Amino acid sequence: MTTGMTRDDIHALLPFLANNTLTGDERTAVQSAVDSDAQLQNELATLKAIRTTMQAEKGFSPGEMGLARLMRDVDAAPVANAPKRPWMWQAAAAVLLAVVLGQGLLMRQTGAPDGYRLAGGDAGGDTAAFTVSFSPDVTEANLRALLMQAGVEIIGGPSALGLYQLAPLEGVLEQQASDILAASDFIDSIELPEK
Amino acid sequence: MDPHTQLLSQMAHGDKQAFAALYRALEKPVFRFIHSRLNDPFESSDLLHDVFMEVWRSADRFEGRSKVQTWIFGIAYRKVIDLHRKRGRMTVTDNIPEVIDDSPDAATCMAAGQEAEHVRHCLGTLKDDHRSAISLAFYDDMTYGEIAEVAGVPEGTIKTRIFHAKKLLMRCLSGLVERGAPA
Repeated sequence: MTTGMTRDDIHALLPFLANNTLTGDERTAVQSAVDSDAQLQNELATLKAIRTTMQAEKGFSPGEMGLARLMRDVDAAPVANAPKRPWMWQAAAAVLLAVVLGQGLLMRQTGAPDGYRLAGGDAGGDTAAFTVSFSPDVTEANLRALLMQAGVEIIGGPSALGLYQLAPLEGVLEQQASDILAASDFIDSIELPEK
Repeated sequence: MDPHTQLLSQMAHGDKQAFAALYRALEKPVFRFIHSRLNDPFESSDLLHDVFMEVWRSADRFEGRSKVQTWIFGIAYRKVIDLHRKRGRMTVTDNIPEVIDDSPDAATCMAAGQEAEHVRHCLGTLKDDHRSAISLAFYDDMTYGEIAEVAGVPEGTIKTRIFHAKKLLMRCLSGLVERGAPA
Protein backbone atom coordinates (compact mmCIF):
# COMPACT_ATOMS: atom_id res chain seq x y z
CA MET A 1 0.00 0.00 0.00
CA THR A 2 1.16 3.50 -0.76
CA THR A 3 2.67 5.40 2.12
CA GLY A 4 0.24 7.79 3.82
CA MET A 5 -2.84 6.44 2.10
CA THR A 6 -5.12 3.70 3.24
CA ARG A 7 -6.78 1.32 0.83
CA ASP A 8 -10.05 3.20 1.40
CA ASP A 9 -8.29 6.43 0.44
CA ILE A 10 -7.16 4.82 -2.79
CA HIS A 11 -10.66 3.56 -3.50
CA ALA A 12 -12.15 6.97 -2.78
CA LEU A 13 -9.77 8.68 -5.20
CA LEU A 14 -10.01 6.08 -7.96
CA PRO A 15 -12.97 7.82 -9.69
CA PHE A 16 -10.84 10.96 -9.93
CA LEU A 17 -8.09 9.00 -11.60
CA ALA A 18 -10.77 7.72 -13.97
CA ASN A 19 -11.94 11.25 -14.83
CA ASN A 20 -8.34 12.45 -15.08
CA THR A 21 -8.64 15.25 -12.52
CA LEU A 22 -6.25 13.86 -9.93
CA THR A 23 -2.96 15.73 -9.76
CA GLY A 24 0.34 15.85 -7.92
CA ASP A 25 1.23 13.47 -5.14
CA GLU A 26 -2.26 12.04 -4.96
CA ARG A 27 -2.18 11.06 -8.60
CA THR A 28 1.24 9.49 -8.19
CA ALA A 29 0.14 7.54 -5.13
CA VAL A 30 -3.10 6.25 -6.61
CA GLN A 31 -1.51 5.39 -9.95
CA SER A 32 1.24 3.52 -8.14
CA ALA A 33 -1.31 1.53 -6.17
CA VAL A 34 -3.22 0.68 -9.33
CA ASP A 35 -0.09 -0.42 -11.14
CA SER A 36 0.59 -3.06 -8.53
CA ASP A 37 -2.95 -4.32 -7.92
CA ALA A 38 -4.98 -6.24 -10.49
CA GLN A 39 -8.26 -5.65 -8.65
CA LEU A 40 -7.72 -1.89 -8.69
CA GLN A 41 -6.86 -2.05 -12.38
CA ASN A 42 -10.10 -3.87 -13.04
CA GLU A 43 -12.06 -1.36 -10.98
CA LEU A 44 -10.42 1.57 -12.71
CA ALA A 45 -11.30 0.11 -16.11
CA THR A 46 -14.91 -0.25 -14.99
CA LEU A 47 -15.07 3.32 -13.71
CA LYS A 48 -13.67 4.62 -16.99
CA ALA A 49 -16.27 2.60 -18.87
CA ILE A 50 -19.06 4.00 -16.68
CA ARG A 51 -17.80 7.54 -17.27
CA THR A 52 -17.60 6.99 -21.02
CA THR A 53 -21.10 5.55 -21.05
CA MET A 54 -22.51 8.46 -19.07
CA GLN A 55 -20.85 11.08 -21.24
CA ALA A 56 -22.06 9.38 -24.41
CA GLU A 57 -25.68 9.81 -23.41
CA LYS A 58 -27.58 12.04 -25.76
CA GLY A 59 -29.77 13.97 -23.43
CA PHE A 60 -32.66 16.26 -24.13
CA SER A 61 -32.39 19.82 -22.87
CA PRO A 62 -34.63 22.88 -23.22
CA GLY A 63 -32.15 24.58 -25.56
CA GLU A 64 -33.36 27.65 -27.43
CA MET A 65 -36.89 27.30 -26.12
CA GLY A 66 -35.56 27.55 -22.60
CA LEU A 67 -33.56 30.61 -23.60
CA ALA A 68 -36.64 32.24 -25.12
CA ARG A 69 -38.50 31.66 -21.87
CA LEU A 70 -35.62 33.14 -19.89
CA MET A 71 -35.43 36.21 -22.08
CA ARG A 72 -39.15 36.74 -21.70
CA ASP A 73 -38.78 36.79 -17.93
CA VAL A 74 -35.59 38.84 -18.04
CA ASP A 75 -37.30 41.42 -20.24
CA ALA A 76 -40.18 41.48 -17.84
CA ALA A 77 -38.03 41.95 -14.75
CA PRO A 78 -34.80 43.64 -15.81
CA VAL A 79 -34.07 45.16 -12.44
CA ALA A 80 -32.85 43.15 -9.47
CA ASN A 81 -35.49 42.61 -6.81
CA ALA A 82 -38.21 43.70 -9.21
CA PRO A 83 -41.53 41.86 -8.91
CA LYS A 84 -41.21 38.42 -10.48
CA ARG A 85 -44.47 38.53 -12.40
CA PRO A 86 -45.11 41.63 -14.51
CA TRP A 87 -48.87 41.88 -14.32
CA MET A 88 -49.03 45.38 -15.78
CA TRP A 89 -46.92 44.33 -18.71
CA GLN A 90 -49.00 41.24 -19.30
CA ALA A 91 -52.17 43.25 -19.08
CA ALA A 92 -50.86 45.76 -21.60
CA ALA A 93 -49.96 42.96 -23.99
CA ALA A 94 -53.41 41.43 -23.61
CA VAL A 95 -55.10 44.77 -24.30
CA LEU A 96 -52.99 45.39 -27.38
CA LEU A 97 -53.66 41.90 -28.66
CA ALA A 98 -57.39 42.44 -28.14
CA VAL A 99 -57.18 45.58 -30.28
CA VAL A 100 -55.34 43.72 -33.00
CA LEU A 101 -57.87 40.91 -32.84
CA GLY A 102 -60.73 43.36 -33.10
CA GLN A 103 -59.19 45.04 -36.13
CA GLY A 104 -58.62 41.69 -37.79
CA LEU A 105 -62.18 40.65 -37.16
CA LEU A 106 -63.49 43.94 -38.55
CA MET A 107 -61.38 43.57 -41.67
CA ARG A 108 -62.64 40.04 -42.23
CA GLN A 109 -66.27 41.07 -41.74
CA THR A 110 -65.99 43.87 -44.26
CA GLY A 111 -63.90 41.97 -46.74
CA ALA A 112 -64.56 39.46 -49.52
CA PRO A 113 -65.94 35.99 -48.86
CA ASP A 114 -62.47 34.65 -48.47
CA GLY A 115 -63.12 35.07 -44.76
CA TYR A 116 -64.95 31.76 -44.78
CA ARG A 117 -63.15 28.73 -43.50
CA LEU A 118 -63.62 25.10 -44.21
CA ALA A 119 -65.14 23.32 -41.27
CA GLY A 120 -62.29 20.87 -41.23
CA GLY A 121 -59.64 23.56 -41.47
CA ASP A 122 -56.41 23.33 -43.38
CA ALA A 123 -53.55 20.96 -43.09
CA GLY A 124 -50.79 22.39 -40.95
CA GLY A 125 -47.63 24.00 -42.16
CA ASP A 126 -44.99 26.38 -41.02
CA THR A 127 -46.64 29.36 -42.69
CA ALA A 128 -49.93 29.16 -40.83
CA ALA A 129 -49.33 30.49 -37.36
CA PHE A 130 -51.28 31.42 -34.29
CA THR A 131 -50.14 34.33 -32.22
CA VAL A 132 -50.53 33.69 -28.54
CA SER A 133 -49.51 34.99 -25.18
CA PHE A 134 -49.05 32.50 -22.41
CA SER A 135 -50.26 32.83 -18.87
CA PRO A 136 -47.48 34.25 -16.70
CA ASP A 137 -47.83 31.31 -14.35
CA VAL A 138 -47.41 28.60 -16.96
CA THR A 139 -44.58 26.22 -16.20
CA GLU A 140 -42.25 24.56 -18.68
CA ALA A 141 -44.00 21.27 -18.02
CA ASN A 142 -47.46 22.68 -18.63
CA LEU A 143 -46.31 24.53 -21.71
CA ARG A 144 -44.74 21.47 -23.27
CA ALA A 145 -47.77 19.36 -22.46
CA LEU A 146 -50.07 21.93 -24.06
CA LEU A 147 -47.97 22.25 -27.22
CA MET A 148 -47.84 18.47 -27.55
CA GLN A 149 -51.56 18.12 -26.94
CA ALA A 150 -52.39 20.78 -29.52
CA GLY A 151 -49.82 19.45 -31.98
CA VAL A 152 -48.11 22.78 -32.47
CA GLU A 153 -44.61 24.15 -32.21
CA ILE A 154 -43.18 27.57 -31.45
CA ILE A 155 -41.80 29.08 -34.64
CA GLY A 156 -41.24 32.62 -33.44
CA GLY A 157 -41.15 34.92 -30.44
CA PRO A 158 -41.27 36.08 -27.90
CA SER A 159 -41.90 39.54 -29.26
CA ALA A 160 -41.28 42.61 -27.17
CA LEU A 161 -44.80 42.10 -25.90
CA GLY A 162 -44.26 38.44 -25.10
CA LEU A 163 -46.24 37.13 -28.07
CA TYR A 164 -45.29 33.80 -29.63
CA GLN A 165 -45.92 32.48 -33.13
CA LEU A 166 -47.14 28.88 -33.21
CA ALA A 167 -47.56 26.59 -36.19
CA PRO A 168 -49.32 23.23 -36.38
CA LEU A 169 -47.09 20.24 -36.84
CA GLU A 170 -47.34 18.32 -40.07
CA GLY A 171 -50.69 16.59 -40.36
CA VAL A 172 -52.33 18.57 -37.57
CA LEU A 173 -55.43 20.55 -38.46
CA GLU A 174 -55.41 24.23 -37.57
CA GLN A 175 -58.95 24.11 -36.30
CA GLN A 176 -58.16 21.22 -34.03
CA ALA A 177 -55.05 22.95 -32.69
CA SER A 178 -56.76 26.30 -32.20
CA ASP A 179 -59.66 24.69 -30.32
CA ILE A 180 -57.26 23.10 -27.87
CA LEU A 181 -55.21 26.27 -27.45
CA ALA A 182 -58.25 28.49 -27.03
CA ALA A 183 -59.66 26.21 -24.33
CA SER A 184 -56.45 26.16 -22.33
CA ASP A 185 -56.05 28.09 -19.10
CA PHE A 186 -52.40 28.57 -19.99
CA ILE A 187 -53.19 30.76 -22.99
CA ASP A 188 -53.95 34.36 -22.10
CA SER A 189 -54.82 35.40 -25.63
CA ILE A 190 -54.82 33.84 -29.06
CA GLU A 191 -55.01 35.34 -32.50
CA LEU A 192 -56.15 32.92 -35.18
CA PRO A 193 -54.67 32.98 -38.66
CA GLU A 194 -56.46 35.18 -41.12
CA LYS A 195 -58.14 33.36 -43.98
CA MET B 1 -8.67 32.31 -16.77
CA ASP B 2 -12.25 31.11 -16.46
CA PRO B 3 -13.84 31.75 -19.88
CA HIS B 4 -17.21 32.48 -18.30
CA THR B 5 -16.07 35.18 -15.87
CA GLN B 6 -16.17 37.90 -18.51
CA LEU B 7 -19.70 36.92 -19.51
CA LEU B 8 -20.84 37.12 -15.91
CA SER B 9 -19.22 40.52 -15.57
CA GLN B 10 -21.08 41.77 -18.62
CA MET B 11 -24.32 40.31 -17.27
CA ALA B 12 -23.84 42.27 -14.08
CA HIS B 13 -24.20 45.37 -16.27
CA GLY B 14 -27.38 44.09 -17.90
CA ASP B 15 -25.88 42.50 -21.02
CA LYS B 16 -28.49 40.01 -22.22
CA GLN B 17 -26.33 38.77 -25.07
CA ALA B 18 -23.74 37.72 -22.53
CA PHE B 19 -26.49 35.97 -20.60
CA ALA B 20 -27.55 34.11 -23.73
CA ALA B 21 -23.94 33.10 -24.40
CA LEU B 22 -23.50 31.83 -20.85
CA TYR B 23 -26.77 29.92 -21.07
CA ARG B 24 -25.75 28.28 -24.35
CA ALA B 25 -22.38 27.33 -22.89
CA LEU B 26 -23.67 25.75 -19.69
CA GLU B 27 -27.31 24.87 -20.23
CA LYS B 28 -26.72 21.27 -21.24
CA PRO B 29 -24.41 20.21 -18.38
CA VAL B 30 -26.48 22.04 -15.78
CA PHE B 31 -29.68 20.51 -17.13
CA ARG B 32 -28.10 17.05 -17.20
CA PHE B 33 -27.04 17.47 -13.59
CA ILE B 34 -30.50 18.58 -12.51
CA HIS B 35 -32.14 15.82 -14.52
CA SER B 36 -29.84 13.22 -12.98
CA ARG B 37 -31.23 14.23 -9.59
CA LEU B 38 -34.90 14.79 -10.43
CA ASN B 39 -35.37 12.22 -13.20
CA ASP B 40 -38.20 14.28 -14.68
CA PRO B 41 -37.46 16.32 -17.81
CA PHE B 42 -40.29 18.79 -17.32
CA GLU B 43 -39.55 19.43 -13.67
CA SER B 44 -35.87 19.71 -14.57
CA SER B 45 -36.64 22.28 -17.27
CA ASP B 46 -38.49 24.43 -14.78
CA LEU B 47 -35.68 24.20 -12.28
CA LEU B 48 -33.09 25.02 -14.95
CA HIS B 49 -35.12 28.13 -15.67
CA ASP B 50 -35.08 29.09 -11.99
CA VAL B 51 -31.33 28.50 -11.79
CA PHE B 52 -30.53 30.77 -14.72
CA MET B 53 -32.93 33.44 -13.52
CA GLU B 54 -31.03 33.45 -10.23
CA VAL B 55 -27.74 33.60 -12.14
CA TRP B 56 -29.05 36.64 -14.01
CA ARG B 57 -30.23 38.35 -10.85
CA SER B 58 -27.09 37.48 -8.88
CA ALA B 59 -24.44 38.12 -11.52
CA ASP B 60 -23.23 41.25 -9.75
CA ARG B 61 -22.73 39.30 -6.53
CA PHE B 62 -20.34 36.70 -7.97
CA GLU B 63 -17.06 37.13 -6.11
CA GLY B 64 -14.83 35.06 -8.32
CA ARG B 65 -13.73 32.70 -5.57
CA SER B 66 -14.66 29.70 -7.70
CA LYS B 67 -15.20 28.94 -11.35
CA VAL B 68 -18.44 30.31 -12.74
CA GLN B 69 -19.52 26.81 -13.67
CA THR B 70 -18.96 25.59 -10.12
CA TRP B 71 -20.94 28.54 -8.77
CA ILE B 72 -23.86 27.82 -11.09
CA PHE B 73 -23.82 24.12 -10.27
CA GLY B 74 -23.93 25.13 -6.62
CA ILE B 75 -27.08 27.14 -7.24
CA ALA B 76 -28.60 24.16 -9.03
CA TYR B 77 -27.54 21.82 -6.23
CA ARG B 78 -29.26 23.95 -3.58
CA LYS B 79 -32.41 24.41 -5.61
CA VAL B 80 -32.77 20.66 -6.04
CA ILE B 81 -32.35 20.20 -2.29
CA ASP B 82 -34.97 22.88 -1.66
CA LEU B 83 -37.34 21.11 -4.02
CA HIS B 84 -36.75 17.76 -2.35
CA ARG B 85 -37.29 19.28 1.07
CA LYS B 86 -40.56 20.84 0.01
CA ARG B 87 -41.72 17.45 -1.12
CA GLY B 88 -40.36 15.65 1.90
CA ARG B 89 -38.17 13.28 -0.01
CA MET B 90 -34.78 14.52 1.10
CA THR B 91 -32.47 11.89 2.51
CA VAL B 92 -29.13 12.38 4.18
CA THR B 93 -27.00 9.42 3.43
CA ASP B 94 -23.46 9.85 4.61
CA ASN B 95 -24.05 7.16 7.19
CA ILE B 96 -24.81 4.03 5.27
CA PRO B 97 -24.38 0.49 6.49
CA GLU B 98 -21.19 -1.13 5.39
CA VAL B 99 -21.83 -4.23 3.35
CA ILE B 100 -19.29 -6.80 2.35
CA ASP B 101 -18.44 -6.23 -1.27
CA ASP B 102 -18.88 -9.62 -2.86
CA SER B 103 -19.52 -8.37 -6.36
CA PRO B 104 -18.07 -10.83 -8.84
CA ASP B 105 -16.86 -8.52 -11.56
CA ALA B 106 -18.54 -5.25 -12.40
CA ALA B 107 -16.39 -4.95 -15.50
CA THR B 108 -18.26 -7.91 -16.90
CA CYS B 109 -21.39 -5.84 -16.71
CA MET B 110 -19.89 -2.98 -18.68
CA ALA B 111 -18.84 -5.39 -21.38
CA ALA B 112 -22.14 -7.18 -21.52
CA GLY B 113 -24.11 -4.64 -23.52
CA GLN B 114 -27.02 -2.51 -22.36
CA GLU B 115 -24.41 -0.37 -20.65
CA ALA B 116 -26.33 2.85 -20.81
CA GLU B 117 -29.54 1.32 -19.48
CA HIS B 118 -27.70 -0.44 -16.68
CA VAL B 119 -25.77 2.64 -15.64
CA ARG B 120 -28.89 4.78 -15.73
CA HIS B 121 -30.78 2.23 -13.68
CA CYS B 122 -28.04 1.88 -11.09
CA LEU B 123 -27.53 5.63 -10.79
CA GLY B 124 -31.23 5.84 -10.06
CA THR B 125 -30.83 3.50 -7.12
CA LEU B 126 -28.32 5.80 -5.41
CA LYS B 127 -29.33 8.29 -2.78
CA ASP B 128 -29.40 11.90 -3.89
CA ASP B 129 -26.07 13.10 -2.53
CA HIS B 130 -24.31 9.98 -3.77
CA ARG B 131 -25.82 10.38 -7.22
CA SER B 132 -24.84 14.05 -7.26
CA ALA B 133 -21.23 13.28 -6.47
CA ILE B 134 -20.97 10.60 -9.15
CA SER B 135 -22.78 12.77 -11.70
CA LEU B 136 -20.46 15.71 -11.17
CA ALA B 137 -17.40 13.47 -11.28
CA PHE B 138 -18.33 11.55 -14.40
CA TYR B 139 -20.69 13.76 -16.39
CA ASP B 140 -18.76 16.95 -15.76
CA ASP B 141 -15.27 15.73 -14.88
CA MET B 142 -15.07 17.83 -11.74
CA THR B 143 -12.34 17.47 -9.15
CA TYR B 144 -13.40 16.44 -5.66
CA GLY B 145 -12.60 19.98 -4.56
CA GLU B 146 -15.02 21.42 -7.10
CA ILE B 147 -17.71 18.93 -6.11
CA ALA B 148 -17.20 19.96 -2.49
CA GLU B 149 -17.70 23.60 -3.49
CA VAL B 150 -20.88 22.77 -5.39
CA ALA B 151 -22.31 20.79 -2.48
CA GLY B 152 -21.00 23.18 0.17
CA VAL B 153 -19.37 20.43 2.20
CA PRO B 154 -15.78 19.55 3.14
CA GLU B 155 -13.68 17.65 0.62
CA GLY B 156 -13.52 14.69 2.98
CA THR B 157 -17.29 14.38 2.83
CA ILE B 158 -17.18 14.17 -0.95
CA LYS B 159 -14.49 11.48 -0.80
CA THR B 160 -16.69 9.51 1.59
CA ARG B 161 -19.74 9.93 -0.65
CA ILE B 162 -17.78 8.91 -3.71
CA PHE B 163 -16.36 5.91 -1.89
CA HIS B 164 -19.80 4.60 -0.96
CA ALA B 165 -21.47 5.64 -4.21
CA LYS B 166 -18.86 3.84 -6.26
CA LYS B 167 -19.23 0.70 -4.21
CA LEU B 168 -23.02 0.72 -4.47
CA LEU B 169 -22.92 1.51 -8.17
CA MET B 170 -20.55 -1.34 -8.98
CA ARG B 171 -22.50 -3.75 -6.80
CA CYS B 172 -25.69 -2.80 -8.60
CA LEU B 173 -24.08 -3.27 -12.01
CA SER B 174 -22.70 -6.64 -11.02
CA GLY B 175 -26.08 -7.68 -9.68
CA LEU B 176 -27.73 -6.87 -12.98
CA VAL B 177 -25.30 -9.08 -14.81
CA GLU B 178 -25.69 -11.90 -12.30
CA ARG B 179 -29.45 -11.83 -12.69
CA GLY B 180 -29.17 -11.36 -16.42
CA ALA B 181 -31.96 -8.85 -16.11
CA PRO B 182 -32.59 -5.95 -18.41
CA ALA B 183 -32.28 -2.64 -16.60
